[in-house]
Amino acid sequence: MNSPQYRQRAIQLREELSDEYFILWIWDEALGAAGKPGQFYEIRALSSLANLQTFHAIPKLFKPISIYDNQGGRIGFMIKKVGTGTNALSRLRAGDTLELIGPCGTGFPVFRGRRILLISGGIGYPPLWYLQKELINHNQIYWMHGGGGQADVFPCDEIWTEDGSIGRKGRVCDNLEETITKHEVDTVYSCGPQGLLRTVCEITNKLDIEHYCSLEAYMACGIGVCHGCAVPIGHPEDWTFKRVCKEGPVFNAKEIRWELF
Amino acid sequence: MGAILNDIWGNSINAVKLLTTRLGKLELSTPLLVASGTFDLENFEFFDPACLGAFVSKTITREPKKGNPPPRLYETEAGLINSIGLQNPGLDKFIHEKLPVYRDKLSMPLIVSFSGSTISEFCQMLETLEASAGIAGYEVNVSCPNVENEGIAFGTDPDIVFELTRRLQEITDKELCIKLSPNVTDIATIAAAAEAGGASSLALINSLWGMAIDYRTGKSKIKKGIGGYTGCGVKPVALALTYKVAQAVRIPILAMGGIYNWQDALEFIWAGASAISLGTANFINPLAAPELIMGLGEYLLSTKKSINDLKGKVEI
Repeated sequence: MNSPQYRQRAIQLREELSDEYFILWIWDEALGAAGKPGQFYEIRALSSLANLQTFHAIPKLFKPISIYDNQGGRIGFMIKKVGTGTNALSRLRAGDTLELIGPCGTGFPVFRGRRILLISGGIGYPPLWYLQKELINHNQIYWMHGGGGQADVFPCDEIWTEDGSIGRKGRVCDNLEETITKHEVDTVYSCGPQGLLRTVCEITNKLDIEHYCSLEAYMACGIGVCHGCAVPIGHPEDWTFKRVCKEGPVFNAKEIRWELF
Repeated sequence: MGAILNDIWGNSINAVKLLTTRLGKLELSTPLLVASGTFDLENFEFFDPACLGAFVSKTITREPKKGNPPPRLYETEAGLINSIGLQNPGLDKFIHEKLPVYRDKLSMPLIVSFSGSTISEFCQMLETLEASAGIAGYEVNVSCPNVENEGIAFGTDPDIVFELTRRLQEITDKELCIKLSPNVTDIATIAAAAEAGGASSLALINSLWGMAIDYRTGKSKIKKGIGGYTGCGVKPVALALTYKVAQAVRIPILAMGGIYNWQDALEFIWAGASAISLGTANFINPLAAPELIMGLGEYLLSTKKSINDLKGKVEI
């Protein structure tokens, strides 16, 4: 299974994490075997197209959601309610049908014997959860996660909140240089809001540290056809628009042309 | 899905006959095509390619085109705004990298969509394409709303459309389909100019101009401000323009604009279309194409009518 597939699958379990975050679990051994950390699915509530009273307010496009967990055919999507698409997903319960296109995109490279720093912000957490499961037996990992407040905090090694309600107060990238030095980090993986990723890229580029950064984009097709999710990637003098859904969502931090966003 | 399709394709010779249609010089096994830039080989992972009568590739230009800065997409209440800006690898790369794959993989006629910034550039591109095997016809994109100096600049002037078409038909004997823009005062004049110039069919509509703004921040949802609007919201416009053009020309019309299902497709056939394309629907429903053909096939079987019997027979 090299190309994304279209499937309809029943939701096996829905897990509540907080008012804003929840996890949907589905079961599909073939899709599970094909998925890799950093890849995503385009997903949609099948009911999006049903004759609901709020039909006009429900987006019809699929939403790209990264793989949170993937083990033996059990696939998890950790979702935050942010807009109309994820709100439609939030109405799904166990037994409801999820439409999926995937697994999509190119994920994180997985290494062995590295000193790794994971850095995530908010809903950037889920793809790194799956990634650390693949990395943990062969690498030294330190994970920093930040969010607005305690509702945005998930298991990791170092917590930051902007309101200071738990963990360290500030942005998760505030003392990134020190952490990288202290843990002798040679590889960074990141996912989160654009502002955070941009700062992390600037720091790792300055320190010349290998860094793989997972980007988010508005998408239509999810399979590389429409070119709607393109971002500028390459060298400053020789860049092109690459598709977040095909060449991405993971890009080498040195190649992301933030100045052109 | 495959099994149900086989019912129509394998066991029922009538459905096969009823669904055939003619687009200019091409005899198509079904009236269903895909709108340029919304569909590629990846989509064939989702369904049986046999439901498509022809395949239209993403518009290419002579030189590679970077495309527009992001964000390029926004979904509105009724359809999608895009601002891709004809991102493509250019003619050479298309011929050497993409075309061999299409030759190898496609089981239906390939229609190559292309655009240029001058008449001579269009002609040079067509001459180069003519030297390549595996192309059944051309869709001449004179109507992309997302580029400044190409496409739409041509499609709005009947004299230029006439001259461009006349020059292009001298170069090729293959299907020559001119894709028209809805963003004009009188589409019938442009359509008539293309027909007079020697076009063998017309494709319409390309996307309408569209815009979306975040009401809280006042910020445009699309980086370039105005983009191309497609999807269910444009269907009444597309239908009206299809009807209008069908009244003005004799050459076949490949209609598109907000077609999501077989009922939509039938409306366009009543209005005068010989074939129809799915565009935005490919993003909304990965199985839109096979479902459309199954529905249309069953309808035609039940009424014992062919596409040709219904075409343009709208009752006003």
